[in-house]
Amino acid sequence: MEWNFLAVLNDIDLLFLGLVNTLKVTGLALFFGVPLGLVLALSRLSTFKPLSAVAGFIVEFFRTTPPLVQLFWFFFALPILIDVSMTPLIAAVVTFSIQSSAFFAEIFRSGIQSIDKGQWEGAKAIGMTYSQSLSRIILPQAVKRMIPAFMERSIELLKTTTLVSTVAYADLMFQANELAQKTFRPLEVYTIVAVIYLVLIFLCSQFSIWVEHRLAKSGEGTVR
Amino acid sequence: MGHSWDFATILQNWPVLWVGIKGTIFIFVITVILGLGGGLIVGVARYAKSPFISYPARAFVEIFRNTPVLVQIIWFFYAFPILTGIETDPFLAAVLGISLNTMAFSAEIYRAGIQSIDKGQWEAGKAIGMTYNQTLRRIILPVAIKRVLPALTNRGIEVFKMSTLASVVGYVETLNQAKLIADLNFNPIESYTAVAIIFFVVLYPVVQATYVLERRLRRSD
Repeated sequence: MEWNFLAVLNDIDLLFLGLVNTLKVTGLALFFGVPLGLVLALSRLSTFKPLSAVAGFIVEFFRTTPPLVQLFWFFFALPILIDVSMTPLIAAVVTFSIQSSAFFAEIFRSGIQSIDKGQWEGAKAIGMTYSQSLSRIILPQAVKRMIPAFMERSIELLKTTTLVSTVAYADLMFQANELAQKTFRPLEVYTIVAVIYLVLIFLCSQFSIWVEHRLAKSGEGTVR
Repeated sequence: MGHSWDFATILQNWPVLWVGIKGTIFIFVITVILGLGGGLIVGVARYAKSPFISYPARAFVEIFRNTPVLVQIIWFFYAFPILTGIETDPFLAAVLGISLNTMAFSAEIYRAGIQSIDKGQWEAGKAIGMTYNQTLRRIILPVAIKRVLPALTNRGIEVFKMSTLASVVGYVETLNQAKLIADLNFNPIESYTAVAIIFFVVLYPVVQATYVLERRLRRSD
């Protein structure tokens, strides 16, 4: 057994393209998933029972079913059900937006619930409406506490996006499979790809630890 | 719209799905035992005073926590045999990937548990003549593990969901069998919905039980 990275390095741009697509899916899923998570969290906290029940069901359902099953469902089943054409990218973005929104919803919820009731009452006392108190008083404080949990979830999302390779979206994992077949060098290809993910995710983790320390110094408790 | 749901074909193919469910249970049991058990060893090693023990443990944790589990499974399936000459079948590759990943995550949970125990407990153990190992085993770990029980249960839930990834390398589990049924009967809607429902029905009560456990432990602490 001899390591030979030459064949892989010649086609490194294939992997680079995959990395860009991985980041694209992650970014899009965050872009849609975070606002959706906030909507789910507010619905779950709503005093209107049917709304909170529905939101609760969505959150629990997407947290307890495997993301790969969800992806297959959106890719293979949904197009038949509502007669739309589904591309791997759309299926991936839809799946991971909803899946991560369920987790973000729980982070938003515990963040909002961690804010003292007196803050709501104070806002009401000076005549703010519900949405004003939420956007001006509660969320600014809650979001700061949520940042560590939020970053941890985003890193999880980045790792989960490898699943899109199974529906033939050209992410880093998929490009690795292609390159391994093309070069007959699976050992080198998969090792390089593992190292790329390791470096990328390790840097993200270190960054999130750094931010967490900064927040701890500024005297904010964190919510997990 | 206009799709008429028909779960009859799923019920007709129940034996096919059942084979997959057994496969899921089998790989879950093995990986959860190896992952949470091995994690305890790594977690304790991570806490060790000797850098020759704690650094390799730390490296192990960082490597397996900071790479996607699917990459690990595929690496063990395609790359590991070339490197070592040891043939891996889909089952072994999936078990290696999922267990090692779970070991790394649970090691951090155990470590957090051990660190949360008051220093006085260590000193008390020492004062009555216990060795490091005795104090760890008899005093620290029982309390530490109790404290991190909810986090460990959450990991177990993650492992159960992760087992579906074994289908990517062709291990016969629930999702794999559902794909087979979907391909043969042209009913992906019912097949994948059935799998989602199976996972939800199994895990929802477990998640609820975790909440109850969390509340109880908080009260007893």
